[in-house]
Amino acid sequence: MWNLNQRDLDNLDCSGSFLHFHPAASFVRTELCVWGCQVSPGGSGSDQTVVDSLALLSAHGLDQLLGSWLLETLQMRLSSCVVPEFWSGLKQPENEVEERDRAWVLLTAFRTLLDRLDPFLGGLERLRTWQAEGRCSPCGTKPGGLQDRAFTIIRALLLFSPSPVLQERVLEFYSRTFSVYMNQEGEAEDGGDAADGPEGGVCPGCSIQMGQCWCREALEQLQELSHILSKLQLLEWVSSKAVTFILHKLIEQRMEQHCRGEYERSFLLEFQEWLELVLGWLSKVFASEADRDPPSVPSVPSVPSTPSVQDGQPSSPILKQWRCHMHQFFCRIYVNMRIDELFSIIRDFPESKAAIEDLKFCLERTNQRQQLLTSLKSAFESRLLHPGVHTSDILTVYISAIKALRELDPSMVILQVACQPIRKYLRTREDTVRQIVAGLTGDAEGCTDLASELSRGDPVTLEMQESDEEGNDPEDWTPDPTDAVPDKTGSKRRSSDIISLLVSIYGSKDIFIDEYRAVLADRLLHQLNYNTAREIRNVELLKLRFGESHMHYCEVMLKDMADSRRINSNIREEESRLGEDEQPPLSLSAIILSSEFWPTLKEEKLELPPVVCQAMEDYTHRYEKLKAMRTLSWKPHLGSVTLDVELEDRTLTHLTVSPIHAAIILHFQDKSSWTLEELSVKLGAPKELVHRKLALWQQHGVLREEAGGRYYVVERGSSKEKMERSVMLIDSDEERDSNTTTQSEQREEKLQLFWAYIQAMLTNLDSMTLDRIHSMLRMFVATGPVVTEMDVNELEAFLQRKVREHQLMMSAGVYRLPKSN
Amino acid sequence: MASQNMDPAAASSTAALKGNTSGTTSAKGSVTKRLQQELMTLMMSGDKGISAFPESDNLFKWRGTIEGPRGTVYEGLQFRLSLEFPGGYPYRAPDVKFVTPCFHPNVDEQGFICLDILKDKWSALYDVRSILLSIQSLLGEPNNESPLNPTAAELWDNQEGESHGIYKGTRIDLWHHQGFLL
Repeated sequence: MWNLNQRDLDNLDCSGSFLHFHPAASFVRTELCVWGCQVSPGGSGSDQTVVDSLALLSAHGLDQLLGSWLLETLQMRLSSCVVPEFWSGLKQPENEVEERDRAWVLLTAFRTLLDRLDPFLGGLERLRTWQAEGRCSPCGTKPGGLQDRAFTIIRALLLFSPSPVLQERVLEFYSRTFSVYMNQEGEAEDGGDAADGPEGGVCPGCSIQMGQCWCREALEQLQELSHILSKLQLLEWVSSKAVTFILHKLIEQRMEQHCRGEYERSFLLEFQEWLELVLGWLSKVFASEADRDPPSVPSVPSVPSTPSVQDGQPSSPILKQWRCHMHQFFCRIYVNMRIDELFSIIRDFPESKAAIEDLKFCLERTNQRQQLLTSLKSAFESRLLHPGVHTSDILTVYISAIKALRELDPSMVILQVACQPIRKYLRTREDTVRQIVAGLTGDAEGCTDLASELSRGDPVTLEMQESDEEGNDPEDWTPDPTDAVPDKTGSKRRSSDIISLLVSIYGSKDIFIDEYRAVLADRLLHQLNYNTAREIRNVELLKLRFGESHMHYCEVMLKDMADSRRINSNIREEESRLGEDEQPPLSLSAIILSSEFWPTLKEEKLELPPVVCQAMEDYTHRYEKLKAMRTLSWKPHLGSVTLDVELEDRTLTHLTVSPIHAAIILHFQDKSSWTLEELSVKLGAPKELVHRKLALWQQHGVLREEAGGRYYVVERGSSKEKMERSVMLIDSDEERDSNTTTQSEQREEKLQLFWAYIQAMLTNLDSMTLDRIHSMLRMFVATGPVVTEMDVNELEAFLQRKVREHQLMMSAGVYRLPKSN
Repeated sequence: MASQNMDPAAASSTAALKGNTSGTTSAKGSVTKRLQQELMTLMMSGDKGISAFPESDNLFKWRGTIEGPRGTVYEGLQFRLSLEFPGGYPYRAPDVKFVTPCFHPNVDEQGFICLDILKDKWSALYDVRSILLSIQSLLGEPNNESPLNPTAAELWDNQEGESHGIYKGTRIDLWHHQGFLL
């Protein structure tokens, strides 16, 4: 079957090749070198040579060997001269060439490469045709198989150890064409960049002198390069990395320029348009690849990842793929940037709503929730949760965070997890409750969110106790995201209501109600004008939140105010009917409090001057007449007095002072000089207090302290004294009477309750481990007015304390009660 | 959530009761709430000599401890009880039994207690605390009209004549005896 004579061999040899042939061997090694290694740059004849050789081999019935021969020849050619030539060509002009020339060198190198390999491509083509005609079946492979292998060989040998020069050049070239292309396409769009490239100066595309602009040339080169690469099936290998890099860098750059620090605008659409523009460039890079339908590129799901502006434009799979990549890049870069800025975004909410919405959109497409959580948590910790920040600021940020994060993640998991540190920290601040209540009542400066939140329609009632009944259809159940904190409170309890969240910081609404009661009492007692319209509104709103029963005390307090007003006017009327000489020397109004319902008021001893006492007595009598079986018990130190001070040369009118101030000055009416001791005895108040209170009158220039601790009335004011007065310290005795239980008291109460539970469990269940005690507490101390949260460490410390106090025994990890007696 | 924490045995027993108590899931939720509330009340009350706590995660099974009342023969002794709450609680009385053997006219060998408020006189107004207090006072003042343990009833009647010390000895013997029977 082997029928190849010497003449034929010579014939083959004449083209500078030889066929080494052993007919006896069971396997035949063929080597057909088409050219010598030092063959001159290609003419069309060389193409012919390969084809001729193929024809010759085929004519001798070596059809089966054609494929292997071709591949082997290709391999030899490549490694012996084509590849080295390519690389040296690429590196040829070592340095100090212009970018334009470098581009040229790059293109030339690939041109040469194509020239050299063209004969083989022709040969392959020929083989394919033959095969299609059924003339031979080389190596028994499928027609595509041979070509694939040939290209694999080319790739393998060419790019086996690529010099970094190639990547550099390709990157540079692509960057250039990108800027040229974007410049041409998006002149109007990118106003900012065009501005710094004025007419006669530098071309914005290729950034050299206008006269030497090679923009057009660059684009043509790009087309040719991508054509060559595509023909050699190298496009993906040579370009992908560079293109990815460029896209990444450019998106990042653009985002830095346009979006950083800018939260009030949505950038999605803008970027969408820009990305479509970029896609135009990509379609140039992958132009020829896009024309044919390469089998190597897997088809991508054609659904674009973003609501496309120009839907369906990218037709080829490779462009679709790149489009997906781009969107992915965009989302990830955007999310990265926003994660860095999230704290500021939250702080600026709701102005930053657009940024949150963008972030939400992108976050859904990347897998960065964990990163977001970690970063946000640490941002909170480093920027917010330290002693330098005022509690009200923390609360403000927390409220913004609630609002922002519930936009970002409707499942509230991010909110819950990220804000855990805030809640924990707020619990350690003493004034948290006060601040929240102040916010609720609209007293806090700068923090109006809470008040408006309170008056918002359709409030969520604060249901602290979970109920087992779920109205929802089980079909509607959706699982929590994987980063949810696994706890016994399911997603249904993950509330987004700001007030519920704030109130639940302490786990109990009673603390808040008590605090509110104290605040309300303070307000009512300090304004003294029976005007309760605002308080009534607040109480009504709070009632909607906390339920009627909880606000009962506050209601009674408000009713007291209304009643007092009525009783007062009643008594006034009665007084006015009295005769001229029976008119009381001073008009007295009272606020009558039902002691049961008010917070306990600060007790302070104060003896008022007889005039005032007399007035009070009269008032009491009249009250007793009005309300049988009741009497008044006065709180002389609370209230306010409006008085005029008449001195020899001046009159101070309408001074509103506290009762003790008034009492002091009244005493000076009878006697113009007093010592501190005398006053203290007369008023029944401690000397320090009296001394402090005297400061007010000194400040007003009414009294003056002289040697020996005596105080005199200053009948004639002089300018010199006015000077002195102005340097005097402002009276600082306005400490408000606060009646709330302090946090440490609350804590003690909580521990007491826990101790009762622990004792009961150990009495009945004998001995338990720390964890068991902890879980039992968590499980069963769920209701009631006290704070129920206690972490294991806190519990352990508490139990250890009890052990030290011999109220508990611990051995081998279990706690038990000591035997009684 | 609490319903998920319940052990299956309790769940099935409540399910069985559902037929005649027309219990629903919401009812069970409210039972849980009520029991939690009762636990809280008991903890806050600080009564000496009585105590109870859920055995495990299951809020429907409690263990109780009663100290023998002062001035009775039970003084200085501690009795363990088991309390089991039906799904229909508080409309149905809980099952209360002595776990520690108790030699008493109204307590039988299995620890069952004959106490009217646990049977026909049960009312939803009673709670764990009142049950425990009643049982504690039952220890001191048995109802000898309808004894579950006639021996104890007889001995109780004779008690007045005997000296305290002697009776105590008898009782402890019998108590031990009882212990072996169980």
